[in-house]
Amino acid sequence: MRRFLVLSLVSGMLLVVAAAPAMAQDTLKIGAPQPMTGPDAPFGDKFKKAYGMAVEEINAKGGVNGKKIEVLIEDHQAKNALAATVAEKLITQTKVLVLTGGRASGQAVEIASVAQRLKTPYVVDHPSADIITAKGFEWVFRNNPTGSIYPQAFNKFITEVPGAMPKSAAVVYDNTVFGKTIANSAMTFLKSKNVPIVNDEAYPVNSLDFKPVMTKVKAGNPDFLLMVAVATTDAILLTKHAKEIGVAPRAFVGFGGGFGVEDLAKELGPQSQNVFSSAAWSGNPNDPAVKEFYKKFHDKYGIWPKEHEVEGYAIVFVIADALRRSQLTGNLDADREAIRQSLLKTDMSTVFGKVKFGNWAGPLGDKYTNQNIYSPDHSVLAQWLDGKLQNVWPKSNAETNYVFPDNTVKR
Amino acid sequence: MTRVAIVAVVLILMMAPPLVTTNQFLLHLAITVLLWTLLGASWNLLGGFAGQVSFGHATFFGVGAYATMILYLRLGLAPWYGMALGGAAAVLVSLPIGLICFRLRGPYFSLSTLAVAEIVRLVALNWEALTNGPVGLLITALPPVALGTRGINWESKVPFYCIIAVLAALAMAATWILSRARLGAYLLAIREDEDAAESVGIDTVRAKVLTLALSAFFTGLGGGFYGFYFHYVDPDAVFPIAVSVEMVFIAVVGGLATVIGPVIGAVFLTTIGELFRERFQVGHLIFYGLFMMLVIRYLPEGIWGGARRAWTGRR
Amino acid sequence: METFVQSLVSGVLTGSLYAMIGLGLTVVFGVMRIINLAHGDLVMLGMYGAFWSHVLWRVDPFLSLVIWVPLMFLGGMLLYRFLLRPIVPGGELNTLLYTAGLSLLIANLALFSWTGDYRTIKLPYAITPLRPFGIAVPIPLALAFALAAVITLALYLFLARTDLGRAIRATSQNAEAAALMGIDVERIAMITFGLGSALAGAAGILLAPSLYLYPTVGEILIAKCFVIVVLGGLGSVAGAIAGGILLGLVESLGAVYVSVAYKDTIGFVIFLLVLLFRPSGLFGVGKA
Repeated sequence: MRRFLVLSLVSGMLLVVAAAPAMAQDTLKIGAPQPMTGPDAPFGDKFKKAYGMAVEEINAKGGVNGKKIEVLIEDHQAKNALAATVAEKLITQTKVLVLTGGRASGQAVEIASVAQRLKTPYVVDHPSADIITAKGFEWVFRNNPTGSIYPQAFNKFITEVPGAMPKSAAVVYDNTVFGKTIANSAMTFLKSKNVPIVNDEAYPVNSLDFKPVMTKVKAGNPDFLLMVAVATTDAILLTKHAKEIGVAPRAFVGFGGGFGVEDLAKELGPQSQNVFSSAAWSGNPNDPAVKEFYKKFHDKYGIWPKEHEVEGYAIVFVIADALRRSQLTGNLDADREAIRQSLLKTDMSTVFGKVKFGNWAGPLGDKYTNQNIYSPDHSVLAQWLDGKLQNVWPKSNAETNYVFPDNTVKR
Repeated sequence: MTRVAIVAVVLILMMAPPLVTTNQFLLHLAITVLLWTLLGASWNLLGGFAGQVSFGHATFFGVGAYATMILYLRLGLAPWYGMALGGAAAVLVSLPIGLICFRLRGPYFSLSTLAVAEIVRLVALNWEALTNGPVGLLITALPPVALGTRGINWESKVPFYCIIAVLAALAMAATWILSRARLGAYLLAIREDEDAAESVGIDTVRAKVLTLALSAFFTGLGGGFYGFYFHYVDPDAVFPIAVSVEMVFIAVVGGLATVIGPVIGAVFLTTIGELFRERFQVGHLIFYGLFMMLVIRYLPEGIWGGARRAWTGRR
Repeated sequence: METFVQSLVSGVLTGSLYAMIGLGLTVVFGVMRIINLAHGDLVMLGMYGAFWSHVLWRVDPFLSLVIWVPLMFLGGMLLYRFLLRPIVPGGELNTLLYTAGLSLLIANLALFSWTGDYRTIKLPYAITPLRPFGIAVPIPLALAFALAAVITLALYLFLARTDLGRAIRATSQNAEAAALMGIDVERIAMITFGLGSALAGAAGILLAPSLYLYPTVGEILIAKCFVIVVLGGLGSVAGAIAGGILLGLVESLGAVYVSVAYKDTIGFVIFLLVLLFRPSGLFGVGKA
């Protein structure tokens, strides 16, 4: 009897599952693989919110050439093979016109490879691995800056502010594409300015304990402590343990990722004070359109948007713009090619900044194709002040004055 | 007689998809099912027959994958040769691993294989000169191959499907041959009681090492195929514990020490995984975990094992 | 010199938490030969327990031990009786995989109910560490160490001095003989699993103020857990403690003096070496 019940339960589950949900009608479909479960889930959620708000706005204004747009998110659980599977699904089954998303670089590379082979435009919104736009893939475009560009605002800061050039630097970064690229880029610049690197430490991502690393760093007595963490938890623990162990540099510098999300200040409280973050731009806060976006996002979702949300929001507009300029005939292959041609001619402004795709060489020498040519301007140095991440450099994007040297630690 | 018929049916079903459908996504799913069949069957050789439960088979998968990618990207060796060499590399790696881990029994053996897998993963992550570290290795173009008068179209799924179907069938054939050979009998004896097997005169060390080598070879082949098909390999895609655990799941859910078991396990787990993910979005892993628990509770011999028993039981 | 002492101190403190995590797993294995892959998720439940009682009822996490430990003991017993016991006859491998499924279930139920937002327990006394002789000692960690020591001592006394404890040890040494001596082995198994779960919960509570909360944190913890208990010897309480502290020290000193990138590798290598030369672990009681 029990066995029968269990079998019916299982078959019931299968039937429920097999009954496919009705397909949406005539909308312009955009596919977005994102991590909706697993350790990266909070980020997938940020993009869901951002895309949602953008789609609502565009559709409210009549959509694109009269048709509504739709962003279809598929969970890839932060696994490469699954990212390939859902990308294939979105392209061949759901028949989307364009792909975006990806979130983490590993999955984004896989998606780029699939998009290139299946001839579907992939407009990258956030993944930062240089390799994605450095392999000559003509179907892949990127709006956001690459990892090697992230430190540029920091580079400008230490060059332009008198006395800010570090006398020595400790660099602690995670063993991911994100961490290594950014650390490499930052260290290359520092070495070119003859700044001694007293610590070069790669840690395994999602570490539970940074006290040993920080003990090592403290022994070197660095003038600046540079930290890279793609995971929010690593960023939180890095800062916390650095301060507990008593590392006392003139500046704590993070580089986006975990250092650029609201959770950092929410969880660390006063320990987040004065930590810098040199990363992808979150929009010029002095621009009224950006201010309006911030307020609207906060009103709708209760959180202040940062780099992820802004990038997700902006990309929908970039894609909509390309869709608007394309002649869509209903023939999927022709339409995708038409959209690709439109993307090549993109020249517009979003909340994130100006967008125009081109071929040029990055700071570490990578040859980019279809990378946003304004990317170097999209690196901004921000600082956590009183629980808020505020832009402080360059001056044209600054919301407030920077605090330097750090006055919360005893030297 | 019926058993042969069932095997024949399964083989035909395996070869059928590219002939009956042109839906690229379904073919992609079928390819992943076959890849997992290959991996499950390879694990089965060691785990099902010999009873040596390895939680570190991802080591061989990753070694095969990286060998294939490195040979192609650095030395220009075509991936189909690379896959075979990947399998060979995995065999080479399996020898010292066997040497270390086979000194242990039961859960200690399992945990030692897990430790080895983690060490290899960390080495792959940090030895950038060899593996490119976390950035990984990406294939952007496959070499052109002529087949008769036309070239193989690498953008279609069909050639990949044929390759993986052949590999999976080979693994299943190996399983079948093993079950009939003396080695197979030795392994079952070892599984039941290793000390008794030794006392009867079976060279348990040689049997285990040979089986591990065979198992590693097929797993490495699977790894090579993974790189070749997915075009991209990074340490977290091929070395994580999750890959090892999934292989175990497939073999167990399908039916240990059976030839058809891994196919059934792969089909079930992949389909269920896809369906759940589609239907339940955020909560899908809850149901996946529940499903695992139910299968193990009510079908402890796996789906094929349970079906066989029900079949023979009813008659 | 200061660096060395700091490393040592950090290693021992972190090690004590590792030991706590390993205790529950080793006790359960010792008696029932079950490797519970859902153990890390039970620790996670303890962590969330401490969090919620702190946020909702303003109970200091360390005090919440009193609430959650008994609850997890009961929960563990029920879990064993209704979910695990029917599986055990199916063999070690099946039980292991079953607990793997259970682990997925628990972690994802937590993810579904409590969302994936990162959370930490913010304690006012956690910000400035103590600095005896210039060595940084974070207060929550020190408290956790002290409580871990107390709990371990209590566990030792329980196992060594009480009848129930002796019954547990007897069953762990040889279940058949214990049954012949009149011990209700099934009842002992249930109680032991409850004990293991309670210890997992306690470990989670002690760990929570020093780490962060995330529903799938169990995955990361379970991997370390294995190294600890095998190092110390599956089934041995003293082993789990020794294994935990040893791992903490190895990781800490390894990171500072060898390499940060390879610090986890060092742990695994030592793990393999111990397995090779002393397969039953440092204090092993079970069969190798």
